[in-house]
Amino acid sequence: MKIKDIMLKNTISVIPECPLEEVIKIMAIQRINGIPIVDNQQKVIGFISQHDIIKELLPNYLGIINSNSFITEFIQLSKKLKEYANYKVEEFMKKNIITINEDDNEVMAADLLIRNRIHHLPVVRDGYLVGIVTMRDLLKAMIEEEDEDEQDRTQ
Amino acid sequence: MITTVTLNPALDITMELNQFVPNEYNSVKRVSRIPGGKGINISKAISVFDLDTMAIGLLGGHAGHFIAEQLREYGITTNFWHIEEETRTNLIIIEQEKKTHTLLSDPGPKIAKHDLDRFIAIFSRVMSQSKIVALSGSLPKDVPDDIYRQLIEIAHEKNVQTILDAPGASFEKGIEAKPFLAKPDLRASKNRVFNRQVDSQEAAINIAHEIVNRGIQIAVISYQDTKDIIATTDKVWLAESIKQQAVNIVGTAEAVIAGFAIKLVQEKKEDIADIIKFAMACGLASALTDEEEFHTQKDVIKCLSCIKISELK
Repeated sequence: MKIKDIMLKNTISVIPECPLEEVIKIMAIQRINGIPIVDNQQKVIGFISQHDIIKELLPNYLGIINSNSFITEFIQLSKKLKEYANYKVEEFMKKNIITINEDDNEVMAADLLIRNRIHHLPVVRDGYLVGIVTMRDLLKAMIEEEDEDEQDRTQ
Repeated sequence: MITTVTLNPALDITMELNQFVPNEYNSVKRVSRIPGGKGINISKAISVFDLDTMAIGLLGGHAGHFIAEQLREYGITTNFWHIEEETRTNLIIIEQEKKTHTLLSDPGPKIAKHDLDRFIAIFSRVMSQSKIVALSGSLPKDVPDDIYRQLIEIAHEKNVQTILDAPGASFEKGIEAKPFLAKPDLRASKNRVFNRQVDSQEAAINIAHEIVNRGIQIAVISYQDTKDIIATTDKVWLAESIKQQAVNIVGTAEAVIAGFAIKLVQEKKEDIADIIKFAMACGLASALTDEEEFHTQKDVIKCLSCIKISELK
């Protein structure tokens, strides 16, 4: 199974100069949890997720989310978001990002996602963004492939 | 990669029923929800040939998400800028008994300058991974008539071949940037180009010459449902579809553009007459299906023998 056959063919992305506020709005309107950062040639140079934004603005927040003190920290997070709304996303994005080639397979994608504890893998062809793959896409593809095997057996 | 631009997409909802009775409960027999818009239709036709195609433009709301998801189901890459207002919906009511076909067209969203600027930035970036871009269709409210000219200029800076298929002022301003191939949308502009009526073969040839004289390599004029004039700097052809009865002419123009884009992206040294024949076969295959596009490559191959190309002196 090649990644290009299972990836989400949505190449929505932002440039490093995009303000944090706009990145958050794009994620909300596009119903996505993370977004690749590209240069002016549409080559992938970074990635940012909602998780990365929270971790960057309030490093302790994710650690205390299960305790009562998260309520006071939540107000703090809201203040921080407004304070940093106009900062460029390049100040928060992950720069050493892991990508996968569209001709690689699902085993490699799963390995990269699990070993690096990440949820999204930008998919590239010659460095250009061509899609995105998540563990959900891999699971869906695996289920569907099993169905096809089943069909083959019954034919 | 062939990129297509759709600035004014639509969700086409078709409801078929025996008879439509106003002020009564009407039971619908069949409903279809299909992404529409010229650029989108071009991408759909290209995807039948298993070629890489990316659809870009402006989408909004639930209809916008539905359109993008459907396009990805067809294998088309999407990179739309999402606006706050809802993408327009066209409602088509088909009455089987009376054989009527009624279209209720939504005026569509207004486009803010901020949204158009963001779209232009996306367009500029994706040109780096495109070989051909097709700019097609009418413009939404508040989008300036010279938008296609601006986009063609950006594409040319990145050495991307351009195809323009648009009506009225957006076409006339667009060709100022000298796209590689230009085709006025005569249906949407009531058969008028450069303030002249295109009502005969002679008028079509004159308009085609005028377009080529303005620096465009290939001009395509669909002056009748079954007849097209194609001109280059040194030749003029008449392309005719023969022996077939069209069932749906919606989407044929987009299929013709898709045919040209498919041949141009393959970069084979083919005779221009063969390229024209293939593009026209795509248009005919589309006209012979009840949906906007042909379904298989075989549909197009079968139509090749029904296209007659003659060079005009």
